Amino acid sequence: MQEATFLILTALAAGSQHGYGILADVAEISSGRVRLRPGTLYTALDRLRGDGLIAVDREEIVEGRLRRYYRLTDEGGRLLAAEAARLQANAHAALSRLNPAGGMAT
Amino acid sequence: MSDRDGLERGYRRLLACYPREFRRENEEEILGVLLATAADGQRRVGVAEAADLIRGALRARLRPPRQCPPAVRAAVRLMYVGAVLELGVWVTVIVTQASVRSAVLARYPGLTAAQWHAVWLAHLLPDEIFAPVAVGVWLWMAWAHRRGLYWAGVVFAATFGLATLGMLTALAQSAATFAPADLVAASAMWMVHGAAVLLIFSKPSASFFQPNPNARIFRVADSRP
Repeated sequence: MQEATFLILTALAAGSQHGYGILADVAEISSGRVRLRPGTLYTALDRLRGDGLIAVDREEIVEGRLRRYYRLTDEGGRLLAAEAARLQANAHAALSRLNPAGGMAT
Repeated sequence: MSDRDGLERGYRRLLACYPREFRRENEEEILGVLLATAADGQRRVGVAEAADLIRGALRARLRPPRQCPPAVRAAVRLMYVGAVLELGVWVTVIVTQASVRSAVLARYPGLTAAQWHAVWLAHLLPDEIFAPVAVGVWLWMAWAHRRGLYWAGVVFAATFGLATLGMLTALAQSAATFAPADLVAASAMWMVHGAAVLLIFSKPSASFFQPNPNARIFRVADSRP
């Protein structure tokens, strides 16, 4: 899974958000390291919708413009959980090898 | 206010690069986000923004639908490679024209300008005209295969047949002696072409192509809730 995809799914993990909210959230989750642009975001959202990992939660009209809220689907949640577990296992392995004495605690 | 209108027009021009279906779904929303993220007083679309939108449009256009089996996806990717190589062949033919001429002259020192012109007309000019057409054919084939059109494989196999004939003709005309660079480029492309044909006619690809010309089940939008 690409990092941008992982961050978008993570942004939706706590609840539904609209496009602008996802952009801001992705920047916050990655501590400002990943700043998605609208073209990249919507190409990814379109693909994730097509793959059934996210879905449209609701639509609102704010100041005459469409605002669509996206949410994670069950399948999207499962995939994100599996990917997070994989990353965690890798990180754990790396840290425990770098620091064999204290790394295996917990 | 007029600044905003100008900026919106600029964004809309770029959004026009996206596929129609994508725009119907997303255009108004992306526009909202673009305007929301634009700096105060911004009048023109920034270079980075434009690059991002064009990249997104290319991705949306070139992406095979997700029902596409991996073999067909790989074949479609090879077709894009073929288009790029064909472009390379075109450039090679144009750039190496002078060296082809000196190779021919070295072999036949008595060649007159008129005779060289005849050789150029018969052998090099067709390549120069054909190459851009072939780029179009590669892209057209990629498009047809992405959609799983039932005739795509047959037409693609036919183009491979023509390419093979072309290669044999070039060899018969001593291309290896006079135009080695052109021959190397053409051989590389021929191998890409052959690999794509094998992928298209492999077993996992077969089910993707519609035997019925009226069936249109591969439209992505149809499967959306």
